[in-house]
Amino acid sequence: MALFGKKEKEKFAKKEKEKFVKKEKENKVQRRETGSSQKETTYFGRNLKIKGRVSGNGNIIILGGLEGEFNLKGRLKIAQPANIKGEVKADVISVDGNVKGSLVAQKRIHLDQTARIEGKIDTPSLSIAEGAHFDGEITMSGRSPHALRPADVDAAPSFQNTTKSTPK
Amino acid sequence: MGKDNTADSTSLLSRNVEIDGEIQGPENLHIDGHIKGSIKLAGDIFVGNTGVVEADLEAKSIVIQGEVAGNVMAHKQLEIHPSGKLIGDCTAASIDIKEGAIFEGRSKMIRPAGLSTGSSASAKFSTPQSPKQQQS
Repeated sequence: MALFGKKEKEKFAKKEKEKFVKKEKENKVQRRETGSSQKETTYFGRNLKIKGRVSGNGNIIILGGLEGEFNLKGRLKIAQPANIKGEVKADVISVDGNVKGSLVAQKRIHLDQTARIEGKIDTPSLSIAEGAHFDGEITMSGRSPHALRPADVDAAPSFQNTTKSTPK
Repeated sequence: MGKDNTADSTSLLSRNVEIDGEIQGPENLHIDGHIKGSIKLAGDIFVGNTGVVEADLEAKSIVIQGEVAGNVMAHKQLEIHPSGKLIGDCTAASIDIKEGAIFEGRSKMIRPAGLSTGSSASAKFSTPQSPKQQQS
């Protein structure tokens, strides 16, 4: 029994090693084909002004201006001096800059202290830091159904009201 | 972030990203992705191996390692590398086309931009009269 177990273990280890080596090889080939694109993040500097549509896969950091549309599969960071007018769609959006228009995220949105938003937000998960400006409306879509029960939504504010009024 | 000089920052368009529209500003731009439309920059444009540009380009210096279809205007220099391909007319102060490069179109030479200081060529060509420099 013990011998058999050992053999099995060795076999397993060998298999794992083979798998690992194969993966490494594949990675190497991929790296050669794509150059250094694995760590590449698209970066639009503060002086760059874009009018039109930006789309694709990957991560983008924007510091400049965009008038038009973002349609991205990946993370988008709208950094401080950035000025966006139009529709922004991405998996994850993090905002430090200015946006006029709509923000739509598949996963989550974070508005940082210096963010200034005028428009609509649509996301399943949202966080807003103290100091952020937000003028507009929020839709939280894509949540699990029990989180959207209207009873909870109604109950929450009334509970808050009562707790606030009691200390006085 | 490493560069404090804002006029000299380089923007990067990576492989899987596409822009359809107009791009301008005093920046350098490295293109590994796909651009359609027009680009007008005060800095330099670098089209990497994987870059595909279907746009008119205007910049100080332009280096092409990928594919460009459109008219190109380089105020300083146009460089096409062996892997580069330019289909369209070019206007440049200086051209450097490496062996193996593909260029289909017309070429027109211009004088180097008068704004560039320190270039001996521009000093030679610049017109002698300079009314703005007269002092009272």
